[in-house]
Amino acid sequence: MTKPAFTEIGAKPLPLETNSCWSCGSMRAAHFCESCGKVQPPAPVDYFSFFGLPAKLTIEVPALETEFYHLSRKLHPDLSARAGSQEQEWSLEQSSLLNDAYRTLRDPIKRTQYLLRLEGVELEEQSKSATEQARATGGVKKQIVPPDLLEEVFELNMQLEELKMNKQMQEDDAALTAEIAKHKTALEEKYESLLQELQSYWKEWDALMERNPRAESPERKQISAKMVDVLNRRNYIRNLVRDVNAALEN
Amino acid sequence: MSYSDKVIDHYNNPRNVGSLDKSSTDVGTGLVGAPECGDVMKLQIKVNRETNVIEEAKFKTFGCGSAIASSSLATEWVKGKTVDEALSIKNMDIVKELSLPPVKIHCSVLAEDAIRAAIGDWKKKQEAPKPVAAEAK
Ligand code: FES
Ligand SMILES: [Zn+2]
Repeated sequence: MTKPAFTEIGAKPLPLETNSCWSCGSMRAAHFCESCGKVQPPAPVDYFSFFGLPAKLTIEVPALETEFYHLSRKLHPDLSARAGSQEQEWSLEQSSLLNDAYRTLRDPIKRTQYLLRLEGVELEEQSKSATEQARATGGVKKQIVPPDLLEEVFELNMQLEELKMNKQMQEDDAALTAEIAKHKTALEEKYESLLQELQSYWKEWDALMERNPRAESPERKQISAKMVDVLNRRNYIRNLVRDVNAALEN
Repeated sequence: MSYSDKVIDHYNNPRNVGSLDKSSTDVGTGLVGAPECGDVMKLQIKVNRETNVIEEAKFKTFGCGSAIASSSLATEWVKGKTVDEALSIKNMDIVKELSLPPVKIHCSVLAEDAIRAAIGDWKKKQEAPKPVAAEAK
């Protein structure tokens, strides 16, 4: 994901009281002035704050959508009154921020990944740092995905390879094909259930945010670790289903 | 992206593809995965219990060319080394040998992880209480 220029990842929302409108000097709302309606320079906020939302994961997507359309109309850079002005430039920046924020938050997975990034989790870096830790301690690296899933991925890949070889030899192994197809169905079900599992962690997260949004508790780390874990497993299964489909279609 | 000649060589003629008897006490098995791409790699070693030298190594990798080449190279490198020597193999050694580009570094990490995991598994087997028959001798 490319970082939008005006969103400092992890930045705390600016206290609104300190911002007054550049045009009329009165207190302003996040994106445009409440008194005179002029667009304001983008403030460095995260996507949740951009929409005025708390950093919670259960989101009413229809309400988000309504707010998105509302804001996109008001922030539209082509409003003729703004043409050529500094205000138009800000509209442009705000609009692109709005689009990024909306696209990220409306998607349950992207939303979760985004929140995890705000929490300082680098999904891509994780594996490397675990390796470094294993090196330093002389231990075995803790695998990011559970061993039984790895085992499953490996076994299924063996079967897929066998299937490919059979096809090359023009042989048809109906039993093998059926077994793989069955496995695929099971994987798809697991894929679905992982979303439900993820949503249960959303609830835990949201409850924590309600109690204390700034808490540096171990619980906070635990919940985000559980979410990372689900996302990793889900990734594996998605790739696997994709490979199975490719093998069955060929 | 183009692969280096060495990667292509390992890819076309992978060394030591196959498997060893997972249940044997002399065999250590490492099964690892890269969450970035969803690839999996299995690496197995057979260790001489007198000398701690790795006498045999096999692998099977489902993944990109670099992962296959990295694991193929890893099996070549661990053979003839003692377990402790093998533990000193770093992914950057593999990167250098195969001239892997930065985006393929995680593939070499996978190979290092696999070596460690296989050795870890073998060590665990050595610590486990010996079957009664073995103890009695
Ligand atoms: S791309 Fe995943 S191991 Fe190479
Ligand atoms: Zn104003």
